[in-house]
Amino acid sequence: MKRLIKFATMALILALGTGSAWSGEALDRVMKNKLLKSATSASWAPQSFMNDKNEWDGFDIDVTKEIAKRLGVKVEFVTPAWDIMTAGNWYGRWDISVGSMTPTKARAKVLTFPAVYYYTPAGFAVHKDSSYKDKAELNGKRIGTTAASTYELYLKKDLVIDAVGAPAFKFDVTTTAKKIRSYKDSNTALDDLRIGDGKRLDAVLSAIPTINAAIKSGYPLRNIGTPAFYEPLSVAIDKGDKELQYMIAGIIKEMHEDGTLTALSIKWYKTDNTKTTN
Amino acid sequence: MYKDTVIDKKLVHQPKFIGVFFGVWFVTFFVFDLGGSIFGQFLAPVIGDPATSGLYGRFVVAFVLGFFLTLNIFAIGFLPTQRQSLVVWIELAICFVGGFHIFNLSLEFIQSKIWFLISRGLFTTIYVSVISIIFAFIVAMIGAIAKLSGNGFAMGIANFYTSLLRALPLLLLLFLVYLGLPQTGYVIDAVPAGILALTLNYGAYMTEVFRGGIESIPPGQWEAARSLGFTFGPTMRRVILPQAIPIIIPPTGNMFISMLKDSSLVSVIGVWELMFMARTLGQKTFQHMEMLITVAMVYWVLTIVLEIFQRRLEKHYSTVKETKE
Repeated sequence: MKRLIKFATMALILALGTGSAWSGEALDRVMKNKLLKSATSASWAPQSFMNDKNEWDGFDIDVTKEIAKRLGVKVEFVTPAWDIMTAGNWYGRWDISVGSMTPTKARAKVLTFPAVYYYTPAGFAVHKDSSYKDKAELNGKRIGTTAASTYELYLKKDLVIDAVGAPAFKFDVTTTAKKIRSYKDSNTALDDLRIGDGKRLDAVLSAIPTINAAIKSGYPLRNIGTPAFYEPLSVAIDKGDKELQYMIAGIIKEMHEDGTLTALSIKWYKTDNTKTTN
Repeated sequence: MYKDTVIDKKLVHQPKFIGVFFGVWFVTFFVFDLGGSIFGQFLAPVIGDPATSGLYGRFVVAFVLGFFLTLNIFAIGFLPTQRQSLVVWIELAICFVGGFHIFNLSLEFIQSKIWFLISRGLFTTIYVSVISIIFAFIVAMIGAIAKLSGNGFAMGIANFYTSLLRALPLLLLLFLVYLGLPQTGYVIDAVPAGILALTLNYGAYMTEVFRGGIESIPPGQWEAARSLGFTFGPTMRRVILPQAIPIIIPPTGNMFISMLKDSSLVSVIGVWELMFMARTLGQKTFQHMEMLITVAMVYWVLTIVLEIFQRRLEKHYSTVKETKE
């Protein structure tokens, strides 16, 4: 018993010791450790996912690696839940999020958005057997989406995109709050839609690349109507480090100008999503 | 149930029971119409195309299924009790695993991912659970002794602890620890946060278990120790706890099995344990069912191992008690 207690105490010290507090400038930390810690999702193909060799892969991953390369540091990926990431107050647990995040006003209160690096068209998907022809017909229907996402805000008519260069949009589809079905991630929503037309959901609002990936994997779905809105997607960092903000902004600007981002976009999306095209 | 020497006629061999059993299943299968399922295809030589066989097809399928089910339990009825239990267990397991057939799973995909899933996920799940249960054991021991100490302050703290921590859902507690603690200035990592939340939560439940275990020792033991001049500490250490621990260990094993699965909650703060791997690996190709079922099986195997271990532990402690008496 004594030995057990001794062992347990040591284990506790070890376990808690690794989470030491950190205060100071994020850029200094990155440069000192030669390590950029990036918060990302491991289940959001084609932005970020584990590939066949169980390695990190995807558009966001490639962009993160390129940023780290230009900073001259290594990169490490951590995987907190999306709502923890968007809540801000990272306490130095990670330095950056290259997670296709839309710089909304609400988020800008808790996070800093150094630069927009590409745009994603958001659109509606319906079941293959559905009779709907245009998104206008989806008014008042049961629509699945991701909790705490811009898609959910769009359905609630609360979405404000205040980033520079974001094309204007209208709230074409309205549905009652009761009929918005919010899921933990967009895949669960797509899973519920695939069960059958109108079984659990009438439509899903998500990123068109995600919907297309699902269709490619054999999901019986189809896109409907023109994109609901174009989301500008930005790199995010925690509040309070201007140096890191300007550094990242400079790197993203460079990557826009020298065509790196366009090349990566064509690699992953087959189109250039780094410019707004209407 | 206690063993006795009264021998009843076996229920499963009584005609009345067999009739009712068959009838219930026949009606159930008939109502649910299994013609379109694999059973319909299996009986296609008798009923023709299942889609067009209509009532006749439904009748035949329900009759055959009901008949085999009844025959099955009738046959099992001849076995000795231990064997019966084993055969029924295996049959249910086969039905359960066979049920996965309908998901049309890609075995290749499972094979390509299972090693990574186990090497990354299983290890984390086990070490998070083991460390948490050890701490919870210590917390519970302190909590139980505090509750029984007769010291007003200790009792107050322990009662407050079990009251509050048993009231909080584990997920909520996890978020409080992970997101709330840094606001006080201490930034805790995901794994320690998970261990802390599991420890506090299970410590509270186990405090009650331990208290019950300690209280089940007859008061005479306590009085005898006191009359010999033992103070509170030595009485607990040398007289009460050595007798209480054998009573406490089995429910602790039960708690551990439960914790193994509750540890999956730490996946929300990004810890790569089994559940996280399950949710992650299948996403790219939209094959989550494969991974979820694989992980379900891994959890099951793990629990079976723990069940065996727990049974041995119980046996060990029960024999110790017998030899003492």
